[in-house]
Amino acid sequence: MDERTEISELIYKSFLALDDLQFAEYLALCAPDYHYLISAYSPEIRKEMIWLEESGDSLKLLFDNLPKHNSDHSRLTRLGNVYLVSKAAANEWKALTFLQVFRTTLDGGATELFAVCKVHDKITKLDEKFKLLDREIKMETRMFGFGHHIPF
Amino acid sequence: MSRNATDWLKTPGFPNSHFVDSRIYTDEALFKEEQEKIFNKSWIIACHESELTGAYDYRTFSHPGGAPLIIVRGEDMKVRSFYNICPHRGNTLLYDPVGNAKRITCIFHAWMFDTKGNCIEISRGEQGYQDRYKCENAGLREVRTEIGYGGFVWVNVDDNAPSLKEYIGDSMNMLEENLSMPLEVFHYHKAVVNTNYKLWHDTNSEFYHDYMHYFNKATGMMQPGYFDRKYTGYANGHASVGSMEIKYDAYSKGSKPRAVGWPGLSPGGWVLIDIFPGMTFNLRTSVLRMDTAIPLGPNKLIIEFRGLGLKSDTPEQRAERIHDHNVIWGPFGRNLHEDLLGVHGQGRAMRDGSDSKWVIHGREENSTIHDEVGMRHFYAEWSKKMQRPAYDPLGDNKLQATKEIA
Repeated sequence: MDERTEISELIYKSFLALDDLQFAEYLALCAPDYHYLISAYSPEIRKEMIWLEESGDSLKLLFDNLPKHNSDHSRLTRLGNVYLVSKAAANEWKALTFLQVFRTTLDGGATELFAVCKVHDKITKLDEKFKLLDREIKMETRMFGFGHHIPF
Repeated sequence: MSRNATDWLKTPGFPNSHFVDSRIYTDEALFKEEQEKIFNKSWIIACHESELTGAYDYRTFSHPGGAPLIIVRGEDMKVRSFYNICPHRGNTLLYDPVGNAKRITCIFHAWMFDTKGNCIEISRGEQGYQDRYKCENAGLREVRTEIGYGGFVWVNVDDNAPSLKEYIGDSMNMLEENLSMPLEVFHYHKAVVNTNYKLWHDTNSEFYHDYMHYFNKATGMMQPGYFDRKYTGYANGHASVGSMEIKYDAYSKGSKPRAVGWPGLSPGGWVLIDIFPGMTFNLRTSVLRMDTAIPLGPNKLIIEFRGLGLKSDTPEQRAERIHDHNVIWGPFGRNLHEDLLGVHGQGRAMRDGSDSKWVIHGREENSTIHDEVGMRHFYAEWSKKMQRPAYDPLGDNKLQATKEIA
C-alpha cells in the first residue's frame, strides 16, 4: 500500500471509529502527543475562534465522561474525502480532508446535513505505523441547533 | 398516581403567581403582542463595542421586535443605529452581518446615506421627483442607542422609553466593578432552537436544573456555599444570582482549578444577572458569557452567544479564558448542549396542541439557589407589561384570585 493510501485509510478509520463511538479505537490511531482542535472563523466578530482544544489525554477524559452527561443520542455519520496528502517534514506528513457530518434521528431515522468542515491533519510514523499527530477541524458550519457532545 | 384528563387540567395547588399557562409559550397572537408590548419597549443588546472598533464599522442586528437594524460607528466615533430598510423601495441596505461603510448605498437604486442616517444622494432625484421629494425627506429611521454595562451596545426602538440607566436600575450593581474595564468579544455563535424565548430565559433564571448538568452538580451543587446563593429581584423584571466558589477540579480526575480569574471576582466566583426580557450576563470565574434571545416566533428562537475576556489580556490569559469558555459553554461544551437540549425538549412537549397546560414555578427556599423566585419575578413583570396574567393569559381559565407572592 502506498503512503497516500495508508494515510487516507488512517483518516477514514478515525471517522469510522467516531461514527461507531469506538473512542478507544480512535485514540489508538493517535500519537501519544496528539493535539486536537476545532476552529471557526466568525465573520460577525471578524475573528478566528477556537471552539475546542484537546490533547489525547483530555480527549479520553471527554469520552470517558460522556455517559455522565445528558446528550442527544442521534447518530452522527462522517463522510470524508481526502483531497491532498503530502510530505511535510522528516517523519511528518500532512493531509487535507473535506468532511461532511450527517445527523440521523433515532426516531424515524431522518438524516440531515449537520456540518461541513475541512480537516487538516498532521501524521507521523511510529513503529512503522502512521498515527495522527495533530488534527485541526476548520468549521464552515457554525450553527448546529441544540448541538452535540461528540466532536467530529 | 397518574391523572386522568380532568385532573391533568386542574389548576395547580399553588398561588396564581407560582404557575403559568403554557399557552404563553405557543400562542401566535400572544407572541405578536409580546413583540409590540415587550420587545419594542425594552432595551436590547445588539452587539458589543469591540465589534465596532473603527470609524464606519457596522454590524447588522435582527431586533426581536421585528425591525432589522444597522449598528454603525460614525466618523465622530459615536455608535448609532438605524432601520436596515431603504426608505425608497424597502430593500435591505446592508446585507453582510459586518463591514465598513463610509457611505451606506442601497444596491437597488443607489440611494446613499451617511453614518448619521442622512440621505446624501437620491439617484437622478431632481429628474424624477423635481421639488416634490428631496434627501431631507428620506433620512433613515434612527433607533435610540446607548453603550454601557460592559461596553454592550443597547438599542430601544421606542423613542419615548426611559433611559437605559433607568431601565437597568440597580440590577447590574453586582457586576459594576467586574465590568468597569474594557472588554473584548472572543467568541460568537448562534443557535436556532424550536422553543420559546421565555423558556431559554427561564433556564438562565433557575438553577434547580443543575440536576441536568453533571459538571455543575460536581463542581457546584456538591460544594459548600452552593445553597447559600441567593436571588435578588429588581424593578423591570431583572434578577441576579449571588456567587459561590466553584470547585472546577471536582469535575473529574485530571480537572484543574481555573488558571485565570476576573478583576473584582473572588477565585472560582460566579455571578449571573438576567435582564428582562431575554439577556443574561453570566460571569463565571474567568469568562463573561452574554446570551441574547431573539425570538422568531412563539416556538422558534435564535440565541446569540458571546464569550468575552479583558481587552488587556495577554495571549496566555486569553487562551486560558477561551479554554475555560469552551469546556462548558462552547458549541461542543458540556453544559451548553444540555441546556439547549432541555429547552428543545420543552418546545417539543409544549408545542401547540400537545395538551400541555401548566408550568409550575412553585419552589420556595428563602430565595436561595433552587427557589423559583427568579422565574416568578420575570412573569410578574411579563404579566404587567402584557396586561395579562401569565396564569390566565386568554382569560378563559376561570381561576380564583389568590394572594400574589412575588
